[in-house]
Amino acid sequence: MRRLTRWYGANPLHLLALLACFALAGYAATQLVRSRPESVAIWFVGAVIGHDLVLMPLYSIADWSVLAAVRHRAPNLPPVPWINYLRVPTGLSALLLLVWFPLIFRLKTHYQESTTLSPDPFLWHWLAVTGALFLLSATAYALRLRAAHRAVR
Amino acid sequence: MSDADQPEHAAEPGPAERPQPAEQPRPAGQPQPSRQPRPAEEPQPAERPRAAEQVRAAGEPPITEKSPVPLKPETVEKPETGQRQGPAQKPDTAENHGSVGRPPIAEEPRSKRPPWRPARPQLPRPSARPGQLARLLMPAEPPPGPFRRSFWRSPVRGPWLTSMLGLILLGGITILFVTGLLSYASYNPNLGGGNDYTSGKGWLGFYLFSWPTDPTWAYQLNQGLHVTLGLALVPILLAKLWSVLPKLFEWPPLRSPAHALERISLFLLVGGGVFEFATGIMNIQQWYVFPGSFYTLHFYGAWVFTAAFVVHAGLKMPTVIRSLRRRGLLRELRVDTAHTVPEPPDVSSLVPTAPSPPTISRRGVLGFAGAGSLLLVALAAGQSIGGPLRRTALLAPHGQVTGSGPLDFQINVTAAEGGIKPEETGNSWRLTLSREESGTSAPVTLTRAQLLAMPQHDASLAINCVEGWTTGNQVWTGVRLRDLARLAGADNPGAVLVQSLQQHGGHATLSAGQIMNPDSLLAFRVNGVELSADHGYPARVILPASPGVHNIKWVTTMTFRS
Repeated sequence: MRRLTRWYGANPLHLLALLACFALAGYAATQLVRSRPESVAIWFVGAVIGHDLVLMPLYSIADWSVLAAVRHRAPNLPPVPWINYLRVPTGLSALLLLVWFPLIFRLKTHYQESTTLSPDPFLWHWLAVTGALFLLSATAYALRLRAAHRAVR
Repeated sequence: MSDADQPEHAAEPGPAERPQPAEQPRPAGQPQPSRQPRPAEEPQPAERPRAAEQVRAAGEPPITEKSPVPLKPETVEKPETGQRQGPAQKPDTAENHGSVGRPPIAEEPRSKRPPWRPARPQLPRPSARPGQLARLLMPAEPPPGPFRRSFWRSPVRGPWLTSMLGLILLGGITILFVTGLLSYASYNPNLGGGNDYTSGKGWLGFYLFSWPTDPTWAYQLNQGLHVTLGLALVPILLAKLWSVLPKLFEWPPLRSPAHALERISLFLLVGGGVFEFATGIMNIQQWYVFPGSFYTLHFYGAWVFTAAFVVHAGLKMPTVIRSLRRRGLLRELRVDTAHTVPEPPDVSSLVPTAPSPPTISRRGVLGFAGAGSLLLVALAAGQSIGGPLRRTALLAPHGQVTGSGPLDFQINVTAAEGGIKPEETGNSWRLTLSREESGTSAPVTLTRAQLLAMPQHDASLAINCVEGWTTGNQVWTGVRLRDLARLAGADNPGAVLVQSLQQHGGHATLSAGQIMNPDSLLAFRVNGVELSADHGYPARVILPASPGVHNIKWVTTMTFRS
């Protein structure tokens, strides 16, 4: 047992838990892939790659680029940290887009056919919410700037 | 990653803190069972520079030089670093290794030497070979890029943030699992006949209980919670995945069989999680591009995800408890960006070795994700509540109010989509009531006029969709299903198969409870007017507390069984 533990690299309970996990997941997977096994597998792998190697690097690079680009202008920057006043509205707007892009971009879905509702308003709703978020953020930043100026004086 | 083997840190500890021999060289990611044994005295070139980096990161991070002095002494990592590396962390190290690929210390033959060094020569041959192979394929030194720990710079990454987000997800996903399972039960899948969407009843297609028809809001609450909470967890999931991304690039990629198996389970966890959220979100927007039936995919996908989720939560729970105990929530919530410093280096390999200056605090990250959740809920919950609040659902599929007429409420299948031809619903339309058992009374065929001549009842009920939206209460008028059962000669029916003119999916089997409820109607009118074609003219079923799709429209036959 000790040998097994050492070779395996963890407590036997760890092995049992994972084997139970694979048994259940494996059984569910056989049911899951019944109709189109390759497509389901592609979706699972695609989900991981799509998030970990596409979406996340994209937003990380965007965030890093903004920080890097603005850092070069450091002397002109106001004294109050500003990045989150840009990051938060952008991130929230992007989150709404990530969740609702099929409706916002009016992709070809069954939506209109099934519900008789129009997909037209979603783009405008999203833009309006985005605008409101940036407005709120700008107002909050302006208030903080004013408070900082007063404190200096 | 611990640098307990660095003499710089060994200088301070008192007698109680003297490093144990077995403790010293156990930094995560360093001693690899799959690696070649090294003579104990041989310096480890790969580890030296990294360890040195760590000392700088923990002791003299660029951040602490530039940032103001932290207000609270607890947030100052520097003085703690030396002590933290010592035996104070010993139980942590042991536990954490338990889940990342090392046997718990208690099981080790505690000799003077670290377990992984003397163990090597005694290993059975077959396992030594993959070790050599692995060493050939994977140099000890990670390739440049994300595989190097110095690549990851955010000072807020660390076990505290990951644990906090993990704990929120644990609560949230548990609710999603329960509401999902209830949603499955609400179809009464045991009755067959269009109720079971989980292709081929296997072990997981089990029967839970007969779905109740009371309280009438049960299904609305369940689906509203499932869908709206699912939306709310999207930013939490994204933040959690962001917080652990360095783990994807761990080096070496496989340390031991335990580590390999755990990484496979993490693939199921992340793949399954993103799959479940993606299919759910696409389904509520009726974007059916996923490979198969939504019900089957979302149901079995959930089991794959749940299997990995339960094991992951179990294995990580000690780490979560430890990390959150070490830095209390209230204490951490008082730390602003300027005073945010990395956590002390630990075995989690999440804490950056070369952190950049903080641009956001930990409370800022939680607030950011929480704001995302609130925003999604605020812009969607109205469709699950109905009434005047529907207009607040600006970004939700069923947030639109089409008008104020008696027929202006949400639908999900139009007559055109259902393939309903006007000639089928005209004067030639008949309702056929029959019993499944042979040798019983002949089928009863009724015209619409005959049905309207029967005692009519009102019921104020909402149609609630599996997609999480509601029509809000409408007043339906029609005959009770139990009266129709009696007419068919089934005084004590066990179930009824309802079929319709709808070409795809227009049938369901209703339970005895659904038939006998006095509010269960075959409705002909709604809000005082005739049903429209899209609302199911000439007759539709309306049930309390049931999945919307069981309110069959354009009904033609009802087959009762005992």
